[in-house]
Amino acid sequence: MNLSIAMSVAPLLAAFISLGSRNALFTRAVVPSLFFLQIGLIAYICIPVLNGTATDLIFSEDFSIDRIGAYFLLLTNFVVACAMSHAFAFFERESALGRLDDPNHERIFYASTALFLLAMSFVFICDNLGFLWVSIEATTLFSAALVYFSRDKHALEATWKYLIVCSVGIAFALLGTVLIFASSQHGAVPDGSLNIRVLIAHANMLQPKLLQLGYIFCLLGYGTKAGVAPLHSWLPDAHSEAPAPASAMLSGALLNCALYAIWRVTELMNLTPHHTLSTSLPIIWGAITALVASLVLVHQSGIKRLWAYSSIENVGIMLVAIGMSSPLLFFLQALNHSVAKVCLFLISGNIIQTTGTKELAHIHGVLKTSPVWGILFAIAALAVTGAPPFGAFICEWMILSKGADAHSWIAVIMLIIALTLSFIAVSVHVGKILLGTPKQSMIAPRSFGTSFIPFVLCVCALLLGVTFVPSLLVNPL
Amino acid sequence: MNASNPEIYVIAAAIVATLMPGSLHIRVNLWFYGIVTFLVAIATALTAIGHAEFGLLGVALLIAVLKAVGIPLSLLWTSGRLNVSRDKGCFLPAPLAMHSSILLLGASFFLTKDLPLPVVENGGGGWLGAAAGISLIFTGLILMLTRRLAISQILGFLIIENGIFVFALTQTRGMPLFVEMGVMLDVLVGVMIGGVLIFKIQKSFEHIDVAQLTDLRD
Repeated sequence: MNLSIAMSVAPLLAAFISLGSRNALFTRAVVPSLFFLQIGLIAYICIPVLNGTATDLIFSEDFSIDRIGAYFLLLTNFVVACAMSHAFAFFERESALGRLDDPNHERIFYASTALFLLAMSFVFICDNLGFLWVSIEATTLFSAALVYFSRDKHALEATWKYLIVCSVGIAFALLGTVLIFASSQHGAVPDGSLNIRVLIAHANMLQPKLLQLGYIFCLLGYGTKAGVAPLHSWLPDAHSEAPAPASAMLSGALLNCALYAIWRVTELMNLTPHHTLSTSLPIIWGAITALVASLVLVHQSGIKRLWAYSSIENVGIMLVAIGMSSPLLFFLQALNHSVAKVCLFLISGNIIQTTGTKELAHIHGVLKTSPVWGILFAIAALAVTGAPPFGAFICEWMILSKGADAHSWIAVIMLIIALTLSFIAVSVHVGKILLGTPKQSMIAPRSFGTSFIPFVLCVCALLLGVTFVPSLLVNPL
Repeated sequence: MNASNPEIYVIAAAIVATLMPGSLHIRVNLWFYGIVTFLVAIATALTAIGHAEFGLLGVALLIAVLKAVGIPLSLLWTSGRLNVSRDKGCFLPAPLAMHSSILLLGASFFLTKDLPLPVVENGGGGWLGAAAGISLIFTGLILMLTRRLAISQILGFLIIENGIFVFALTQTRGMPLFVEMGVMLDVLVGVMIGGVLIFKIQKSFEHIDVAQLTDLRD
C-alpha cells in the first residue's frame, strides 16, 4: 500500500468518528488516541530516514520525506495529539460552564482538526511545489473552522480576516509556484516540472529571472501564512479567538508548516547561482519580524495575543535560521518553540475558563489560585523566551553566533534587541499574571486533566534543553 | 493576430476587469466577473485545442460552468438574500479606482515586457498574456482595497486568482492537471466558506461591511 495513503487512514478515521459519533465523551477520548497511534505509525514508516540508513523515503513520484521532514511530521502530530488530549478536559469544563450549547459545533471542531492534521502532514511529504501549495491552502480552509468555534462576533471577525488575508497571501505563493514552473521550461526540463527533486537536479539551468521572482512571491505568500511582519495581521486575532487547543495547534504546528514551505523553496534557491537572495532576504526579514513582534509584545492587553506575538517573534528567528541554510537550527528552534508554546496556550485556556476573561489587566494571582498551573506557566514562559537551561537558549545562541560568523551584524543586533525586549516583556506580563491577588473569586478546578498535558510538555521542554538539543548539536542530523 | 489566438481573449478579460472598480453595483460587478471568467475559459479552450491537450479542455469547461456561471449566480443569490445591491466603497472613489486600474494595466505591459518569453512549441503565449495576468492581479488588489462589502472582497480575490491562472496559461506549457484541479478545488471551497461566513456576518452584525469589523485591535 502506498505509504502516503497509510498515513491518511488515522486522520480520516478520526474525522468520520467525530462526525458520526453522538457520544461526545467517546469522540474526546478516541480522536487523540488515534493521533497518538498515528505518531507511532509515522515513526515506524520513517525509521529508515530517522536512523540514517536512507537520506529520503520515496512514497511515489511526487511524495517523499527526508529526515528534517520526518522530524517535522512527528512534531506536528505530537503537537496535535497533545492539544487534542488536553481538549478532553477543556471541553468538559466548557460543557460544565454551559458554553457548549450545540453538540454539532464540537463535532465539526474534531472533524476539522483531523482534516487539518491530514493537510499539515501532507505539507511535509509533498515533493511537488504544486501539491505543497494545495496542502498549505487546505490547512487554511480546515483551520478556519477551528477559529470560528465559539460562533461569537469576535470569532467571526477573526475567521473572516484569517480566511481573506491568508487566501490572498497564499495566492501570491501560487504565482511564485507558476513562475518557478516557468523557469524550469527554459532549458532545464522542456516539459516543465514542479517536482522539487527534479528542480534541485537541474538547479543550475533554471531561468534566473523567473526563478528569483518566483522565490520572492513564494516567500511573500508563505510568509503571510507564517505571520511574518508586516503580513501578520490575521495571526493575533485568530490565535486569541480560537479555543485554547486550536490556538496551540495554530501556533505549534501550522506556523511550522508555512515555514517548512519557505524552507523547501529556499533549499532549491540555495543550489542555484543566485543564492544571495535566499540567504540575505530571509535573514533580514526574519530579524525585522522578531524586532517588530517584540516591540508589540510590550503593550499587550490580551493573554493569548501575548503568546501570538511571541509566536511571531519566534517565526522571525526561525526565518533567520532558514536564511542561514541551517535546517537543523530551524527544526530545533521550531521544536523548542512548539513544545513550550503549546503548553502556554493550554494553560492560558485553563486560566481564561477560570477567570472568564482574556484581559491581562484582570488576571492576577494565578500562583495563589492554582500553584500547579502557576509553576507550569512560569516554566513554559521561561522556555519560550529562551532562558537557560531550555533548548531555545542553545538554539538562539547558535543562530546568533552563526550570524556573527557570517558578519550579518545588522540582523544579529536586531535579534539581540528583539530577544532582550521579548524576555523583559514576557517576564513582566507573566509576573503580573502569577503574582498579586486574584481580582475575582476564581476557583481553579482540582482536575488532573487540566494539568497533565502541560506538565508533560514542561518535562519535554526541560529534557530538550538538557539532553536532546546539546546532543544533536554535537552529532548533527 | 487572429481570433483563435488566446492572447486576444485574455487581454480582453484584463480590459473588462479594469471596469469593475468603476462600478459600486454588486450586480454589475458580478456580470463583469462572469464575462472576464468566460473570456478566460475561451482562452483556455483555444490553448487546449492549439496544444492538443484535452485535459486542459476539461479545465476550460469547468471554468466556464463553475466559475463563470456558478460562482456569479451563487453570489447574486447571496446578495439578493441579504438585500445588498451597492457597495459604499472606501479609500478611493470609484472613478479614481477604475483609472488607477487602467493605469496599472498599462504598467503591467512595462513590467512584463522584459520577462523571458515562454517556451511554447505551437506558437501562442507571449508577454502580452503575462501583462494581462499581472493586470488582472492588480485589478483584483484594487478591488479588495477599495471595497467595503464582504461580497466585493471575495470578487477581488477571484479576480486575483483569474490573473494567476491567466499568467500560468500563457507563460507555461502543461501545468500538471492534478495541480490545476487542486487549485480550483481549493478556490471553490474557499469561496463556499466565504459565502457561508457572509451570511453569519450579516446575522451577527446586521451588515456585511467588513471595514467595520474592527473590534479586534491591539
